[in-house]
Amino acid sequence: MKPTKESELNLSGATRYLDDLPATEGMLYGVPLTSPCARGLLRGIDASAALALDASVSVLTASDIPGENQLGEAVSDESLLVDGEWSYLGQCLALALAATPSLARKAAALVRIVYDELEAVTDARAAAESGSFILPSRTMRSGDPASAFSRCAIVVEGRVESGGQEHVYLEAQGAIAESLEGGRVRVVSGTQAPSGVQRAIARTLGLGMHDVEVEARRLGGAFGGKEDQAAQWAALAALGAARTGKTVKVYLNRREDMNWTGKRHPYSSDYKLGLDAEGRILAYEADYYQNSGACCDLSPAILSRTLFHAASAYRIPNLRVTGRMCRTNLPPFTAFRGFGAPQGVFVIECALDAAAREGGWDPVELRLKNLLAEGDSFHFGQPVADCRARRTVDRTLELSRWTELRAEIDSFNSAHRLVKRGAAILPICFGVSFTKLVMNQGGALVHVYGDGSVSVSTGAVEMGQQVARKIQVIAARSLGIPEGLVRVESTRTASVANTYSTAASTGSDINGMAALAACEEIRGRLLGLAARMLGADKGELRIESGFVTKGCEITELAWKELVDKAHLDRIDLSAHGFYATPGLFYDMKAERGSPFAYHVYGCSAVTATLDALRGTYRFDEAFIVHDVGESIDYDVDLGQVEGAFAQGLGWAALEDLRYDERGRLLSDTLSTYKLPDLRFMPSAVKIEFLEGAPNPKAVMRSKAIGEPPLLYGIAGYFAILDALRAVDRTHPTKAPSSAPYAYDLPMTPEKALDFIQGVRR
Amino acid sequence: MKVRFLANDSLVETEAWALAPALDFIRGELRLTGAKEGCREGDCGACAVIVGVRNESPTGLRAGSGFAYDAQPSCLLALGELEGRQLVTIEGLAAAGPTPVMRALAEANGSQCGFCSPGFVVSLTAYLINGDERRGALSVEGAFAAVEGNLCRCTGYGAIKRAAARLVEEFASLPLDPYARLDALVAAGVVPASCASFARGEILPSLARGEPSVEGGSLALGGGSDFFVRNPHPDPAAFPAFSLLDREPALRRVERRTAGGEERLEIGAALSWREFFSDPDILKLVPGIERFEKLLASPLVRERATIGGNLANASPVGDLTAMLLALGASLRLEGPTGSRELPLDELYLGYKKLELRAGELIAAVILRASRPFSLFNFEKVSKRERLDIAAVNTAAAFEAEDSAGGGPLIRRARISAGGVAPVPLLLKKASAFLEGRPLTAAAALEAARIAAAEASPIGDVRGSADYRRRLLERLVLAHFVVLFPGSGVEEAIS
Repeated sequence: MKPTKESELNLSGATRYLDDLPATEGMLYGVPLTSPCARGLLRGIDASAALALDASVSVLTASDIPGENQLGEAVSDESLLVDGEWSYLGQCLALALAATPSLARKAAALVRIVYDELEAVTDARAAAESGSFILPSRTMRSGDPASAFSRCAIVVEGRVESGGQEHVYLEAQGAIAESLEGGRVRVVSGTQAPSGVQRAIARTLGLGMHDVEVEARRLGGAFGGKEDQAAQWAALAALGAARTGKTVKVYLNRREDMNWTGKRHPYSSDYKLGLDAEGRILAYEADYYQNSGACCDLSPAILSRTLFHAASAYRIPNLRVTGRMCRTNLPPFTAFRGFGAPQGVFVIECALDAAAREGGWDPVELRLKNLLAEGDSFHFGQPVADCRARRTVDRTLELSRWTELRAEIDSFNSAHRLVKRGAAILPICFGVSFTKLVMNQGGALVHVYGDGSVSVSTGAVEMGQQVARKIQVIAARSLGIPEGLVRVESTRTASVANTYSTAASTGSDINGMAALAACEEIRGRLLGLAARMLGADKGELRIESGFVTKGCEITELAWKELVDKAHLDRIDLSAHGFYATPGLFYDMKAERGSPFAYHVYGCSAVTATLDALRGTYRFDEAFIVHDVGESIDYDVDLGQVEGAFAQGLGWAALEDLRYDERGRLLSDTLSTYKLPDLRFMPSAVKIEFLEGAPNPKAVMRSKAIGEPPLLYGIAGYFAILDALRAVDRTHPTKAPSSAPYAYDLPMTPEKALDFIQGVRR
Repeated sequence: MKVRFLANDSLVETEAWALAPALDFIRGELRLTGAKEGCREGDCGACAVIVGVRNESPTGLRAGSGFAYDAQPSCLLALGELEGRQLVTIEGLAAAGPTPVMRALAEANGSQCGFCSPGFVVSLTAYLINGDERRGALSVEGAFAAVEGNLCRCTGYGAIKRAAARLVEEFASLPLDPYARLDALVAAGVVPASCASFARGEILPSLARGEPSVEGGSLALGGGSDFFVRNPHPDPAAFPAFSLLDREPALRRVERRTAGGEERLEIGAALSWREFFSDPDILKLVPGIERFEKLLASPLVRERATIGGNLANASPVGDLTAMLLALGASLRLEGPTGSRELPLDELYLGYKKLELRAGELIAAVILRASRPFSLFNFEKVSKRERLDIAAVNTAAAFEAEDSAGGGPLIRRARISAGGVAPVPLLLKKASAFLEGRPLTAAAALEAARIAAAEASPIGDVRGSADYRRRLLERLVLAHFVVLFPGSGVEEAIS
């Protein structure tokens, strides 16, 4: 692609992120004082020492909140500042404000609290045993699994663990709130959901939403972490601004951000999978214990996506899956790219792995035999339509030369004792749409200025996924003008209202469609004028490359001239566009419906080399065939696949989120929490987009891209497992052969050595 | 005290506290916000800047030139260290528009959210200036290695690798002469013209030589890679007096000396890790040690971290500490009452407790050149291979000869281990067991078993106690597999 203005600005260091905005006169800095243990009862706050530090210091507590002390949207269980009991370590108790960041930090450290420490629970299953849930459990069924199990030739059962994942958006969370006349506030927030932040501020300050304006500028990464969890920092800054009348900035440092904010949910799950003698899946049951953390946050929606993706890309006629949201005393776990789907997909893949071993089936053939096809239905009743599962898997097997690759690996393994290679493939099938119906809507506001340049505002937040680039392409193609004439604005609640978070991979689907609607409206008006000017029929006119065309012929009428004339003729050069994804419905009671506009298919093959002496591993190659529909911008989509795959691979085999049993985060810095670096990634990554696969269900026949490719990383876990199983054992394994297979993500060198030495199997 | 330096092409004179992290001064006072705060511990590279020096102690310079430009994380850099130097930030690089490095990254779509992008540009630019360590030429692998200290959470590195490979191709014919090369890079728009002028002393000659301009005091700052991690926002009141060791030429050279009929290598404690791994005398004395450089920190941090700092930090799992323990290093300690020598294995008394007297400083590391080890190996296992702290590390140095039976006879052995005790450990029993013994599979297995028994690890975020003990046993075996191929050890491991 041509280098865009934005990426050149980023690369020149010119892009201004939140912390780069110049300080304004009299600006105050806010530093939260947070809870010192996982559960406690706040008995008193003494700020006298902090207040004595400097005249600029003030300390705000729950009693300073003029509106409702509540952030929880789905369930009202999350106060802005604790008043009474707190339920995780790092929960905000007070906000210290001062004239410099270092004074504010010192002031926060000087605030004394009196409290009782209460007993805390950190384990999801322990919380479930004591009946501590966010909401009642949820179950989806199809067929009759109980009776189907009795017809199975092979039934495997076991437990699967998957760890949490820290977002590590490179730009930490924060907000700057400016106090305006009449009690209004204007906030720059590092959020994926400006309307959500606006709502939270209006609620906590007791203002109308029209008194609160929120802007999200370009974010330095988000990945789901700035969806619900950005509201807190913005609401604190707004509270500070409202109480002091000054501009207040709250910006976390890395350690604070890692300690105080939620991450991907850890899951502990039980599975039971039954197959007939030929390896056809007959029945599947799974119980997911989601560690939801201390507050509801987005846990119910995340759990529903787990349940919707329980069968992944496989046909399962009889199924029962149940999810439980276990309330623990950890920071509220939240959205992270994939949004519950990776956890569910990992469980069915582990079950298939166990079945392949027990039944002696080839893992690839077993998957092919059970792959979804046209005419099948998902377990929630939606028909499988325009299915690309087999096409993407077949092409991946070709691209990776799978048969030869397998043979090469096997012969390598028989020739080497202390080095082993392994490989795995993983098909994906990911449903696109917010599973909460109301969120599938978005708006856009397009202005064509008198000089022919164009401004597009939508609800989409640019956070590195390059949605702004896609919207620019959509608007330019729709108006028939060069891309350089289109500017995509930062996201402001005063420009486009009542939006939902830029999430669920729907950013360009929804906002692109809304922008398209607005552009088409303006184009229609302009072509009407052009028809009058040229004495032509409107139906035969188009705008291409900045000129009006008539049939195949380019007219003399240029875009700029047309716009100029439209203005003179008093034709409205602005339009609002709106889009609501059609055809979605879901009956929560029956757990039946069509919750997704369409599905994204694809397949990955990953190879790994294991050092069986040291227990370390390295990824060698990855082959990915991805169903992107018709790509709006090849480089943007390629970057999304590569980036999501890296995060998935990190989740599967590197990123080790660890809390101690008292709820303290152990991996709270980048020296203790490692994420993929350049060397961690496979040395060769070959990515291909499925050809000739337009998608009639989304903007410009494209498909959503953000989340689905994250699932490809799960293949990395199984590639290492495959290599581990090739290790020669000269002595009997210490784990009894009846012991269940251990499926415990992320793979780590420690777990690998356990396998090698036979401590686990 | 005053700090004077060149910030891109303008002179800066400031009374600001010299121990403040340069990152805060650059962003806050200079209002150059292109360098980002990502982690404040040298782990992400988002705050990287290029620091230019000239006419300083010879070990501080790249071979054959009177100047050097290196990328460093500005969160680990004290403002005072910029005295007399040139600070080149992303804004300085971009002053005349996007540079070829920026264009290559933009064309490959190597910038998504953009927060890490300036750091990648800085690291790749420094790579074009310096090329591969010890060679100067460019290579795709070298360009990849140059960004090992830069994290990107968006791209998955694919686009960045493509851009790096393209740059290597584009600049394949850069001259190797440092001045000619800098001129070529100026002409190509990779670095600003002020770099060529500064390197030749044409601008600000009065600042040509960095003079120590800070008061001596109780805090002696080496590379800051430990100090600023523990004190991300240092309070001036807490550190009224300090000295910056990179201003002490005596602490930054490698000298061959003869004392008591013994030839020895005295390595200044303020030598950076990058300098350590490129010193010809060290490379000659410990053949192959440079193979392990990549396992220690990242290029950005190796530019900051010092030899003495790694020892004084007293981490039980310091990588360089493990290497120097196995190599039988001694220390020259200098204090108010004079100078003394101490074997490194006597430095550690307990967890983070050192045999150092009040006011004493590690001045030099001494390696005995007259009794070298011909075989050296280092092993390390961490969750991530690069820029990570080990669960367990171990180094081994052997002097072996062919025995009558044909197999190797071990004359001298020193094996160290980190991450398995409250202190960096010299595995005395395992080492003693091996000395005078032919290296057979049985002897190797027994030595590894003894080594594991010498360990007393604890469990933490990097591994359980049981894992660490088992891992140490495997890594000691790995020494034999690597250093004595064909000895039958590999076949005996199960």
